Amino acid sequence: MGLCTGCSLLCDDIVVELDGDKIGKTMNLCRKGHAHYNSLGSERLTPSVGGSQVGIEDAARAAGELLAGAENPLLFGWEGSTLEAQRAGVDLAKKLGSAIDGPSSYSQGMIAEKILAGEIPTCTFDDVRNFADVSIYWGDDPSSSHPRHMSRFSYFPRGEKRQKGYEEDREAIVIDVRKSPTAQIAADGFFKISPGGDGAFIEALTAALAGKIPKVEDKKRMLNLATKLRKAKFGAIFTGLGLAHSLRGDLSGFTALVGKLNELARFSVIPSLGDYNTRGFNQTLFDETGHVDAVSFKDGVSYGRKFGIARFLDSCDAVMVVGSDPAAVLPAALARKLAKVPMVAVGSHRTITSGLARVSVPTAVAGLEAGGAGLRTDGVKVEFDRLVGSVHLSDADVIRRIMEEV
Amino acid sequence: MAGGRELTVITYRGIFQEVEEARGMYSDGYRDQSAVVALDGRDMKEMGVEAGEPVRLATASGDVVVAAKLSEEDHPGVAFMPASPWSAQLLSGDVGEDGFLELKRFAARASPGEGEVTTIGEIEAGIKAP
Amino acid sequence: MISAMEVYQLLPKTNCKRCGLPTCMAFAVGLLGREKKIEDCTPLLEEAKYEKKLAGLRELLAPILSADATETGMVIHPEKCYGCGNCVVACPVNVANDPKGTAIGRGPVSGKAILMVEDGVVKCVHVDECRRFGPEKVLCNACIATCPSKAIEFI
Repeated sequence: MGLCTGCSLLCDDIVVELDGDKIGKTMNLCRKGHAHYNSLGSERLTPSVGGSQVGIEDAARAAGELLAGAENPLLFGWEGSTLEAQRAGVDLAKKLGSAIDGPSSYSQGMIAEKILAGEIPTCTFDDVRNFADVSIYWGDDPSSSHPRHMSRFSYFPRGEKRQKGYEEDREAIVIDVRKSPTAQIAADGFFKISPGGDGAFIEALTAALAGKIPKVEDKKRMLNLATKLRKAKFGAIFTGLGLAHSLRGDLSGFTALVGKLNELARFSVIPSLGDYNTRGFNQTLFDETGHVDAVSFKDGVSYGRKFGIARFLDSCDAVMVVGSDPAAVLPAALARKLAKVPMVAVGSHRTITSGLARVSVPTAVAGLEAGGAGLRTDGVKVEFDRLVGSVHLSDADVIRRIMEEV
Repeated sequence: MAGGRELTVITYRGIFQEVEEARGMYSDGYRDQSAVVALDGRDMKEMGVEAGEPVRLATASGDVVVAAKLSEEDHPGVAFMPASPWSAQLLSGDVGEDGFLELKRFAARASPGEGEVTTIGEIEAGIKAP
Repeated sequence: MISAMEVYQLLPKTNCKRCGLPTCMAFAVGLLGREKKIEDCTPLLEEAKYEKKLAGLRELLAPILSADATETGMVIHPEKCYGCGNCVVACPVNVANDPKGTAIGRGPVSGKAILMVEDGVVKCVHVDECRRFGPEKVLCNACIATCPSKAIEFI
């Protein structure tokens, strides 16, 4: 059985036919996972320094020197790295006295942090499969981002208390600004909101749950939803980037709504985090510092938005990007700032970011060419072995090699 | 630039874009899946743009030319665009007072685009420019 | 779903009965049910004035006539499929045949599943187990209703 590191569901029932070190026929991989498995042969990163191809040893040495010579380095990325590499990354940040951050600082980090801190209740996907009778997808389109979410856990499978199938046993509610592929499946359970309308929806639903008339156009439908949620036995709320961005980091209303729902029944939140080990990075850093991203080890431990990549680039004089492509995602003005900072790129594939790097250090693809472990987006630890041979070092070995040079 | 239609653009991720991304960001397939904007039918008509034709999107931060796509849903005044290096050219790099970096939603002016869809090479050159 | 009317529009509409059916409309229904072949309409093939209609009809019916269409009329559009496995897990036959695999959301383990995902795309095997197969067929639509991308249809 193979495992897929194509997204944070870490599907572990993948059947693969191998032809030597080549991937042959696969079973159970979704389309995204299949593309991930077949990315082994395309656009791989090669070791280089200053645009010249070098050996991996020379690249690791140059990376270490670049970081060691900096006053204010930033170690960014980590969400597509193994738990072992993340651990080594935090150790490296401590050794350097650097800042460390990941894409969660501009996506769902604040939701993840509240979950890890116990301020928002959560559960595992296995609980969802066995018990959930209501699944709410909020600003979240797992059909596109985590394709097997609904079939493995949240809507279609049979479970301990869910033996009759989704039509009788489960309810899917989708709250989104567009009729996403997930909303398509939910049909009658789709609530279309206007862009930025999540806060108003939270308010209206909170009011309806309290028996008040909600301030929305379709009052009856909102009251019906409240009635449905009141009758739920086990609810699960899956959050996406849509919710996180619409609320701009202010989770007070959402947290209060989840609290209110928990007075009625058990309601848990599982964020649909992006890269396969986003949860792992959040947990690793949280265990060390109490925060999931945007941390500096310069003077002990400090936390704040100013240590997130968006603001830290202003004072940063060296950056190491690990398994991430911020230059493809960040606003162009920030990507231009990033391009001017001396950079080390560590990763398996060529990216827009690696094209800006002074030093490139390639790694194996975790789960395919190297073993390790990750945390599924619900926090469950999944271990994996390598499937095929590779000339590349694992990401953890690469980080440790760089650390030796610091 | 003057004129153009003021739209609220919302970014999203689609599975076929991610499939192409795994194959390589420098491929035509990735560009075809990323450099597009899904527009409301009436907005398209009033702009005089047909599906597949180039549309220029501009904000105070930058501008790109992408291909128009007709939305199956009605959403006048709103456009949907895959999150990608193309949409990133339009985002503001300023973090708000609350320190939050907006990546999902922005206002842009849309107008019929002359010329070709922006290439990844042009975007890279813009990022690397001194 | 192709309608009989769409097919009818591409027939000679002369009700000449040479196909063995009383009307062109009946022939349209016969084509959709795969009881008749396009070749059974001899005027369409022989008369030059129907050339355009014939080409149109062949294009319209291509999915039905292709090897992709199974004996239940199920057509999978692989280019649209996400490989999410919703249909695999929701299929009542899979649930009954594969309780430790597809029924609980995992890949099939019993060897008796009729839908499975291969190389990132759904595939129909053991079509004879489908509830739409054979004379006692039930118009089950579990695999269509659960699809996020309209990748499955019955024709």
